[in-house]
Amino acid sequence: MSDAAATMAQGRQRLELSALSAPAVIFTVAMIAFPVVYTIWLGFQSFSNTGKQSFAGLANYSKLISDNEFWHGLWVTIALYVLSLVLQLVFGIWLALILFHAKRLPGIVRSLFISPFMMPPVVAGMMWLVILDPSLGAANYILQSLGLPPSEWLASPTWVIPTVALIDSWQWTPYVALIVLGGLQSLPSSVYEAAQIDGASAFKTFQRITLPLLLPTIVTAAILRSVDLLRFFDIIYITTQGGPGNASNTLNIYGFRVGFEFFNIGYASALMLTLTAIVLGAVLAFNRLRGAVAW
Amino acid sequence: MMDAPTTDRWIRCLNLLQLVLAGIIIMTPTVWMVLSSFKPSFEVTAYPPTLIFSPTMENYLQLTRTTPFVSYAVNSLIVTIGSTALGLLFGVPAAFAVSWTRISWPAILTLAARMAPGTLFLLPWYVMFRQVGMIGSYTALILSHAVITLPIVIWVLLPSFDSIPRSVFEAAQVDGCSVTRILWRIALPLVASGVAVAAILAFVFSWNYFLFALVLSNGDTKTLIAAAFNFIGEGSTQWGALMAAATLIALPPLILAALVQRWLVSGLTLGAVKG
Amino acid sequence: MNARMFAVRVALPVLAVAAISVEAHAADFDWKKFQGKTVTFLANNNPVAQALLTYKDDFEKLTGMTLKVDGYQEQQMRQRLVTVMNAHSDEVDVFMTLPSREGEQFSAAGWYADLTAMARNDVAKEYDPAGLSQALLKAATFGGKLTSMPMNIEGPIFYYRTDIFKKCGIEKPATIKDVEAAAAKIKACDSSVTPFVSRGLKPAIAYTFSNVLHNIGGSYIANGKSNLCSAKGKEALDTYSRLLRDFGPPGVVNYSFQQISALYRSGRAAMSFESSNELRTAMEGGARLKDTALMPFPAGEAGQVPTVIGWGLTVSSHSKQPDAAWYFVQWATSPAVQKKMALQGIAPPRPSVANDPEYRKWIDEEPVRKEWQAALDVLATKGSSEVGYPIVANPESREFIGQAVQDMILKQKSVDQACADADKALDALIAQK
Repeated sequence: MSDAAATMAQGRQRLELSALSAPAVIFTVAMIAFPVVYTIWLGFQSFSNTGKQSFAGLANYSKLISDNEFWHGLWVTIALYVLSLVLQLVFGIWLALILFHAKRLPGIVRSLFISPFMMPPVVAGMMWLVILDPSLGAANYILQSLGLPPSEWLASPTWVIPTVALIDSWQWTPYVALIVLGGLQSLPSSVYEAAQIDGASAFKTFQRITLPLLLPTIVTAAILRSVDLLRFFDIIYITTQGGPGNASNTLNIYGFRVGFEFFNIGYASALMLTLTAIVLGAVLAFNRLRGAVAW
Repeated sequence: MMDAPTTDRWIRCLNLLQLVLAGIIIMTPTVWMVLSSFKPSFEVTAYPPTLIFSPTMENYLQLTRTTPFVSYAVNSLIVTIGSTALGLLFGVPAAFAVSWTRISWPAILTLAARMAPGTLFLLPWYVMFRQVGMIGSYTALILSHAVITLPIVIWVLLPSFDSIPRSVFEAAQVDGCSVTRILWRIALPLVASGVAVAAILAFVFSWNYFLFALVLSNGDTKTLIAAAFNFIGEGSTQWGALMAAATLIALPPLILAALVQRWLVSGLTLGAVKG
Repeated sequence: MNARMFAVRVALPVLAVAAISVEAHAADFDWKKFQGKTVTFLANNNPVAQALLTYKDDFEKLTGMTLKVDGYQEQQMRQRLVTVMNAHSDEVDVFMTLPSREGEQFSAAGWYADLTAMARNDVAKEYDPAGLSQALLKAATFGGKLTSMPMNIEGPIFYYRTDIFKKCGIEKPATIKDVEAAAAKIKACDSSVTPFVSRGLKPAIAYTFSNVLHNIGGSYIANGKSNLCSAKGKEALDTYSRLLRDFGPPGVVNYSFQQISALYRSGRAAMSFESSNELRTAMEGGARLKDTALMPFPAGEAGQVPTVIGWGLTVSSHSKQPDAAWYFVQWATSPAVQKKMALQGIAPPRPSVANDPEYRKWIDEEPVRKEWQAALDVLATKGSSEVGYPIVANPESREFIGQAVQDMILKQKSVDQACADADKALDALIAQK
């Protein structure tokens, strides 16, 4: 093949690859460009609290800096994020390995194992609210039957974040497991055969071979969970609405309440954009990591 | 040192134990929910929790009696299937291209819509779709839900495409295959189980999402999940009906997963080590 | 309250209400005037709307109009409403609103159409606007404009268990002090039940707390400043949080109507202070029908000043057909329809309906219903609709009231600290223009 022909073929290939991702890119831009621009504009508006609009410059953003509730919300968001992500990744990998080795498990049972995240988060929130009710719930009933002290769960300012993280992990660990399982299944079997011949122990095989090969999948799962966890909403919206006090008032809950319960659309827009920037930062960081661990 | 068969048995026992433990933790709440849907409404919050009760279909009957449950379900199906299809149509080629080129900004961009809080989109989308007279249409709902499904498809498929050895593609190129042809003929069959997983996830996320339907639908196109809230209002909280609705809502994704699961299992025995 | 505020808050509404009573032009009225039009109704899917909408067909038959209903649970309805109104959309013609919560804010934002003239001129002979609760009409009047028509009457009432009271040798409580004494006795006499339960969820607290504050003789605002640190304010904060902390269920800071009714219904609470709307939920299954007594919350130093509110029906200011929309509002709040709704357990905002023989017969069927209606009668005559601060940012003010109460339930702050922090935040809200 001549050089010119090779360049032409490469150009054609590049064009084809762009054409493949074009629909997704165009669609996304069409759907999110206007909302983002509109929200940025709203963020510069003051709605006083009468709903009357006026240009406010950076007033909403300077309010944000001096707003204790914002900084508290940021702290709650991060605490909940780190706790939930760690729980879900650790148990997700564990569950994926269990399911991977349980090959004879009937399909229907297997799909029951991954069922929690199929439940609408709203419904899961309602369900756990009933189960964890300190006076009426089954959870304390079981604890007391076992002779253990009851807990206030969602009603305790100390325990509300761990409890919410547990609920979320119950729901989303199987999701992480499913993604990791997909990664496990696509691992080339040759590496295992080589390891078996070498006589490596199961744990060593996992640590030395499986885990590194799985890293891209795990990072993907972490990215997908991060975008949801940093915008933590549904379960808190249903169970505590940010309480007790403001102990579970995440940024997303706070922004939502400012906009749709207190009707201050301008300040809510500033809050939501700030949160979006935080999520974007986290995703970009993870993406660098993804590049580093790809194989 | 133990001989090999004993170690094997131990490991198998350990695996089984872990499996049972995980199963109990995962399934108890769901089983409890399904059981609750067959209890008389006021018994759902009874204390101590009742385990023995005379099952009743009352909650399910009430659902069909007091709400247009079936038409909500049809709305949800239309929106979910539409948005999942759209997500796959746009997402599969995009994931392939990103994996091939290692240029990841298109993948990040599609994820951008999920980085913003859902509430951020409510007002702008309402304004936007109203401009073109699409409020209350399935199209508006499908488009908005495709914003959820698209990044899921792309990000779930990315590692699958990544794991196909480059040599496979290179060989095909030498044979004169175009990129598009490689995607359809070679890559896609190799990541079939990934596509199945992506489709299920897209379906579930779209099916369970309520926020957009809140402002983009109207009385005729309202989705099931947006309607489910109606069982928890002041003066009208009906735990039984809520649990029945929740059970029915969770059913389609579960059935779908069970159906595709078989396929996943066969993919698994092909791809992975035996025994 | 200064003179100008007084004029706006009291004098003007009275004028507006008086204006309604002027003889209507009944002769010109024709229910079929807007035949063929479609009116869209954004409903809060609560029992009030559910009862109303069972008669949807009657409305369509009577007027020849089509009613398109879009129903959501309260929070979701508000979300949709905020979106629709901020987009200046004419999609919604009629919506439900709580004047006590969002009235000031929505009217300042110009979201309500002015119903004053329509309620005066464009009414059927039998509508009888003067027969509606004057207190609720007043509560729905802002800046002299009537903004919504009352659909029902409701408020927090005191549910208690006669059997437990009898067993523990307690009389029916007459004062707040009696409530606390009863709670202490029950705690000692039957440790298996929760003595007292009411709202502890932050945004929900103002609804029940306001009643306690007013009974004690406190007020939210004095001389344009937040007044929680006054002696009465502190006493109210202290009393309400002490009742919940010492005698309430564990985890009460997450309690709103769902949990309260569930706890009471299952027989695990001896006293419950919760919305009159929750009667049906609390009585579900029939276990509590025979051992429950109801009354307005017992008196404080200022006597009984129960909280009374009601859902209102209003026309959107962005509606392209306010006249047709008004026909629906009028039909839905007419004596005939409100009587039918009353027979489904929706407390009517019209004394004439409350005294209707057929309704009385329904009430007399169950002793609980009788006490329920008697309590609501007190609410209707003595009630105040001040729930949270009477300012534009009322919804946000409830946040700080709730925070102060929760801080004390959780023993995170002393009463002085809690009220001072709340007053500081609330003064900033009051100062907002």
